[in-house]
Amino acid sequence: MTEAELRESLHRAGYIADEGLATTLWLAGELQRPLLIEGDAGVGKTALAAALARARGQALVRLQCHEGLDLSQAAYEWNYGRQLLAIRLAETQATGMKEAELFARDYLLERPLLRAISSEQPCVLLIDEIDRADEAFEAFLLEVLADYQITVPELGTLHARHIPQVVLTSNGTRELSDALRRRCLYHFLDYPTLAREIAIVRSTLPHAESALVEQAVAFVQRLRREDLAYTPGVAETLDWVRALHRLSMKALPEDPQGLAGTLACLVKTQDDRFQLGEDRVRQLIEGRRSVGVAEKAPQPAGT
Amino acid sequence: MNDDIARPLESIAGFAALLRDHGMKVGIAEQQAFVQAALRLPVERAARLDPAWRAIACHDVRDWKRWPELFESYWHPNRVRGKSRVGGQTRPSRSLQQLVQSLHDSMDGGMPNRRQSGSDTALESPLAFDEDDGGLQRAQGGSSRTTDALHDRSFSQWLPQDLALLQSLAEKIARRLRRQLARRWHDDARGHRLDLRRTLRASLRTGGLPLHPVWRAPRREWPRLFVLVDVSRSMETHAQLFLRIARAFVSAMDARVFVFHTRLAEVTPLLRSDSAAVQEKVNAVTAGFGGGTRIATSLADFHSVHARAQLARNARVWVLSDGFDADPPECLAQELARVRARGARIQWFHPSEAPPASQAMARVMAERKLVERFARLNSLRDLSEFAQQLR
Repeated sequence: MTEAELRESLHRAGYIADEGLATTLWLAGELQRPLLIEGDAGVGKTALAAALARARGQALVRLQCHEGLDLSQAAYEWNYGRQLLAIRLAETQATGMKEAELFARDYLLERPLLRAISSEQPCVLLIDEIDRADEAFEAFLLEVLADYQITVPELGTLHARHIPQVVLTSNGTRELSDALRRRCLYHFLDYPTLAREIAIVRSTLPHAESALVEQAVAFVQRLRREDLAYTPGVAETLDWVRALHRLSMKALPEDPQGLAGTLACLVKTQDDRFQLGEDRVRQLIEGRRSVGVAEKAPQPAGT
Repeated sequence: MNDDIARPLESIAGFAALLRDHGMKVGIAEQQAFVQAALRLPVERAARLDPAWRAIACHDVRDWKRWPELFESYWHPNRVRGKSRVGGQTRPSRSLQQLVQSLHDSMDGGMPNRRQSGSDTALESPLAFDEDDGGLQRAQGGSSRTTDALHDRSFSQWLPQDLALLQSLAEKIARRLRRQLARRWHDDARGHRLDLRRTLRASLRTGGLPLHPVWRAPRREWPRLFVLVDVSRSMETHAQLFLRIARAFVSAMDARVFVFHTRLAEVTPLLRSDSAAVQEKVNAVTAGFGGGTRIATSLADFHSVHARAQLARNARVWVLSDGFDADPPECLAQELARVRARGARIQWFHPSEAPPASQAMARVMAERKLVERFARLNSLRDLSEFAQQLR
């Protein structure tokens, strides 16, 4: 698959990638290297992995990282319950049981990493929010990402049947190790440009009015330049346009009151809500950056 | 290695050297990946090498943002305004299209066997770099070579090495403040206790037999650090330094930071976010405070309202002020005594050479037990000296 074809199939899978991103994805496939994607929350990192799997017609295996994630949750675990049952069963039938039988593949519970490695078909392995996992887990991951193999002491080393396309995402809550970074290709996913975001919204919500989509996306783009505690991502834009569309709006209303209820889709903290007063929202709708002279001047009494 | 292939490889090695000079970690493996990417791209799409190499060479956001400028300056110097040469390096062919073309040509004609031996594994290149090749010596530096990275200036006046030094000093000081046991247990001096809940949970996988006991580790915590920064008119020139230092401690050990002149306000949440507008926001918080400095009133507000629940045994309170107080002179010593009575240890930092000589401070200094130490804090050097003296 060439990069242009990959971009096209990503588009069909519902993800609009720019040329640079498509080239990086293509290169990751060609060089069989994992791809580390960083970016703010809500810019579409996880959605990219899901779309890549759809575009290639492969299964998506997802490992959601969190603090305290260990081997038994990420790679494999012995099925102790079943092993105990097998021992009891062997005792009652007096057939006896060798230790090797007890530590066979049948008693191994496959967790996402092992599932991706032992998959019969090529797949996309998404290791989501790797920055939330501990450093010890990151070190374990190095073996998997470098050699695509997992060592189970009782069984030996299990090699990948097909090298999975690995996508790691990070929100930058913790600094990742250099060793991990150097094993991966890197892409920083920024907020989309105006044109690209309009295209994303249009492809996801084809029934929304064109004028509404353009105005709403322009509003969100201006809102991102504000100094907010939480900057709205693409997911928030989609939520908001969906909400406005449900309210049967054809375009953004000029009166900020009309938007008051729906802004909860975009503004997620109390401080930001406080900062975005009615005047500021009006300015954002109109596309003005700063407070005008007329508004700065004190209002005459009685008006 | 023949000339045809040496020239494009030399260009790539020169580019890698430029990237390394700018602090990017580009070693042999990355250069090999550069060549692989160039070989896999068709000649007519040579322009796509930009994003492809970017994905290979960049390892974090800083690299990512710096890339376009470096790439343009090396491969398209004519497009960069006001610059004619970069880094003083020799210039072999700099056309990407020519580079890809000559790499393809040399691979097709010159070394068919090597291409076949090129495996599909990630880090093995179809090309082997010849270590004796003089033209590639620059490539051997690897990422371990120490280069002065030209970091971007995230703050207006501070050099990045100053910021890094400040952060490392804050971390060093945090390490030197001894962590204390959060709770002491009578029955076991070392504090190891069975975690019954997690032991029972772990026993589920062994059919209810508790084969894997789980122990609770004793919890150690840093002493609570409170930083009180004087932002009155007389401290105007020093407040910025103090706030920046305070901010380093917020990220290093979760300190709480307050600013005061006539009143006291907490600014920890503002310092926590990494925004260019932090200073403006802090200024906005203190804008309505009016003239004069009321240290004693602010301290009273601090210990009785803001830090009431957290001012406990061995909490540290750092006051960053010149000590000129508009309150009655005896009040300051009284309020400091109240803070001290809660078990907190007080350190006073002043910007001047000698400790403050105001009336209020004279009373404070007369009572030796009130303030543990007076120290000058006017530069990072002072902070580093303080770090060395800290017990």
